[in-house]
Amino acid sequence: MPAAIFNLNHPAHYVHWHFVQISVSNVIVIVLMLIVFAAAILAPFPGRGGSS
Amino acid sequence: MSATETDERSWTAGLRRRAVTALPPEKLLPDQQPSYVASWIYVFGVLSLSALVVIITSGSILALKGPAWWHLTGIGHFFNSVHLWSVEIFFFVMVIHLWGKYWMAAWRGGRARVWITGAVTFLVAIPCALTGYVSQQNFDAQWISTQAKDAMNAVGIGAFFNLLDFGQMYSWHVLLLPAAVVGIVIAHVLLVRKHGVVPPFKLPDASPTEDVSP
Repeated sequence: MPAAIFNLNHPAHYVHWHFVQISVSNVIVIVLMLIVFAAAILAPFPGRGGSS
Repeated sequence: MSATETDERSWTAGLRRRAVTALPPEKLLPDQQPSYVASWIYVFGVLSLSALVVIITSGSILALKGPAWWHLTGIGHFFNSVHLWSVEIFFFVMVIHLWGKYWMAAWRGGRARVWITGAVTFLVAIPCALTGYVSQQNFDAQWISTQAKDAMNAVGIGAFFNLLDFGQMYSWHVLLLPAAVVGIVIAHVLLVRKHGVVPPFKLPDASPTEDVSP
């Protein structure tokens, strides 16, 4: 079986701030969703005129 | 009794009349949309539907071939990964779709049922994914099921939704919950077609426009 791109042979890394505890991988996915959400609102849609 | 009178009184004719009244063909399959739909934020609903099609297709193949195939063969690993990553993409784009519709207040204009069916789809998709993780037939599934059972017991549904019962979880995952998700999604799409895409908020000095784009 091919090796994973990242070394997964260890416990997950966690961000722990007061009562908030979340894995780093989940933080990355949430940040990516926020970036894509902002891009979806701001990026021009192809074929749409600029006047309307 | 004439044939016409029979048609009028039959339940199939009544159902047809109601269906055509609610969703005439030009509304069910429109070829034009309002100009404000030309935005990336409206694309994420269709992306969610596309991911769902891949999920159902890859899941059907996994169900036909079985755990030995998806654990021990190269092509089985491939379809196992397609199923996993299509679910990840489904939730990713569905959440962005949900955020977009929330900030547009997409329940405006009599669209409450459109919003509710979308939100319920998200809620039903969560146990659908959870039952998939515990149906993998590996140590990961054992770990997740033994951890998550405590949450089910804490809210009092552990006797009916037993994460340690593989047969029950597999049935929920491959039949009951996917059928619920697909059924609610179909209702959601038909309601969107019936009510139309929610328009953006009007600016205070904006004049009403009726322009459409193909």
